[in-house]
Amino acid sequence: MRRSSAETAADDISSLLALQLFSDYTLRTVALGSAALGITSGALGTFAVLRRQSLLGDAISHAALPGVALAFLFTGSKAPLVLVLGAALAGVLGTLVVIGVVRTTRVKYDSALGIVLSVFFGFGLVLLTYIQQRPDASQAGLDRFLFGQAAALLQRDLVTMAALGGVALTVMALVWKELKLLAFDPDFGISLGFPMRGLDVLLTTLLVVAIVIGLQTVGVVLMAAMVIAPAAAARQWSDRLGVVTALAAGFGALAGVSGAVLSSEAERLPTGPTIVLCITGIVIGSLLLAPRRGLLWRELRRRRDRGRLRLEAVLQDLQTLELQHPDGGHGHSAAVLSVMSGGALPSLQELERRGLVRRLGDDAWALTEPGRARAEP
Amino acid sequence: MNALDVADLTVAYGEKPVLWDVDLEVPTGVLMAIVGPNGAGKTTLIRAALGLVKPAAGQALVHGRPYEEQRRLVAYVPQRGSVDWDFPTSVLDVVLMGRYGRLGWLRRPGSQDRAAAHVALEQVGMTDLAGRQISQLSGGQQQRVFLARALVQQAEVYFMDEPFQGVDATTEKAIVELLRTLRESGKTVIAVHHDLQTVPEYFDQVALLNVRRIAAGPVDEVFTEENLRRTYGGRAAFFGRNGG
Repeated sequence: MRRSSAETAADDISSLLALQLFSDYTLRTVALGSAALGITSGALGTFAVLRRQSLLGDAISHAALPGVALAFLFTGSKAPLVLVLGAALAGVLGTLVVIGVVRTTRVKYDSALGIVLSVFFGFGLVLLTYIQQRPDASQAGLDRFLFGQAAALLQRDLVTMAALGGVALTVMALVWKELKLLAFDPDFGISLGFPMRGLDVLLTTLLVVAIVIGLQTVGVVLMAAMVIAPAAAARQWSDRLGVVTALAAGFGALAGVSGAVLSSEAERLPTGPTIVLCITGIVIGSLLLAPRRGLLWRELRRRRDRGRLRLEAVLQDLQTLELQHPDGGHGHSAAVLSVMSGGALPSLQELERRGLVRRLGDDAWALTEPGRARAEP
Repeated sequence: MNALDVADLTVAYGEKPVLWDVDLEVPTGVLMAIVGPNGAGKTTLIRAALGLVKPAAGQALVHGRPYEEQRRLVAYVPQRGSVDWDFPTSVLDVVLMGRYGRLGWLRRPGSQDRAAAHVALEQVGMTDLAGRQISQLSGGQQQRVFLARALVQQAEVYFMDEPFQGVDATTEKAIVELLRTLRESGKTVIAVHHDLQTVPEYFDQVALLNVRRIAAGPVDEVFTEENLRRTYGGRAAFFGRNGG
């Protein structure tokens, strides 16, 4: 299991955290809430990423802002369920507008996403500014939805997040094979009789849920990162949808908890950006280190292959020389071989170490019996 | 009874008709090629018959009844290029998708389904690759995975969209073999096909299509130079049975 080193690192961090978590009530709330959001957005984000709909998450989270503001304006309440419901409705509305624009106009999908994202977000900022200028003090703190503030998480927030996230993940598990079909080959799904458009709506709704439960902690501006990045990192480590999804959930939780705890420990450190920095670290690590897909591994393999080719070339050249000088016995100099394939000395030394070549004099090299056998075409 | 009865089928994307008033009868137990130039509506014909595009007019009946009532009788092999082969899944997993229809909601594939998948993989000569990640397959192997997925549907009528597109010679031979096996067991295959030269060898019926139906029937009677000229506008007529 090549994953184990990453897992060990994760375990170290989490055991360090665990020491503090259970002693500090606020910290525990923050950590559990961030874990809930990370797991949910990581798992559901996997489907968004695999369906090449990463930017949908960005549009939904930005579109949610006016929903939060309007929910507060209409109800005067800051109860998490009320605000989350407002965010979800606005998120769904934003998605519907995207679909409507694509269907009725010639505007393409990505442009429609951009339009919805900026218009809804702009409207949300206007509402937020308006709310902040009102005299009553109860509005304080609504702006945390911009960049997120984990330290403000309360027990009731945690309950809401965990419940919504749990429902979303349960639904995902129930329609797992249908969602796999939707992500891999929706046309085939239609031919089997599954309502793929309905499943699309369902998956988008689940994504909306995953996003809105993270808004308070991560903020609308950067929430999309929690949808995209965990899946992008997880894809590096596995070729199985189940494993990728589970890893994405794990990465999401890890980044969520470490970012939230860091930011609530430090003064004035916005949570969203801190969490995003954590998940970015995981992504970079995965891009570099993951076996087979990782850049580092590919570079190592490339070098190994190149090294092997070089040894083969020198071996072949030496054989060619021996065939040209059948009297043999006196060996051939590294300089001659270097003319043939360049920089032959290190390769000769390596071949000698492997017993394929022997050194007859200061600069005289010849094939050994095994080497001669190896060089035979 | 006919395997497929298409009547007055008309499909339009926007203003432009892709299929226009097409009638087609496919008898049970034949291998039929659908040929025609690019943009002739070959793929659309299959997609309309499968309910993947909504026709403006007309209908397609499978074994005498609307497709929606006969899904279990139908298997579908889409174009290989229609999916992302870097998707994180294995060969066996893709083949098992062919069972999802009979499994219905909530149920996961079980040991019977896995057994059926392994039989299908054996039929297409991919037994050793069951656990392989699909991104590591060659084009021909991808095509065979799709065929195996259709086989586990255990259907009566097989719709195939360009099954020979870009495959190696081994795969081509394997597919031809498979088509014949299917015919021997009384199944019907309707395949979009590009290579006119192999039509008489691989298929026993042919439909010539260019937005309208030009001709359809047994290859011997229909696959003539005259009909090909009418289908392709004279460009490819020399491939015809009488001219070749």
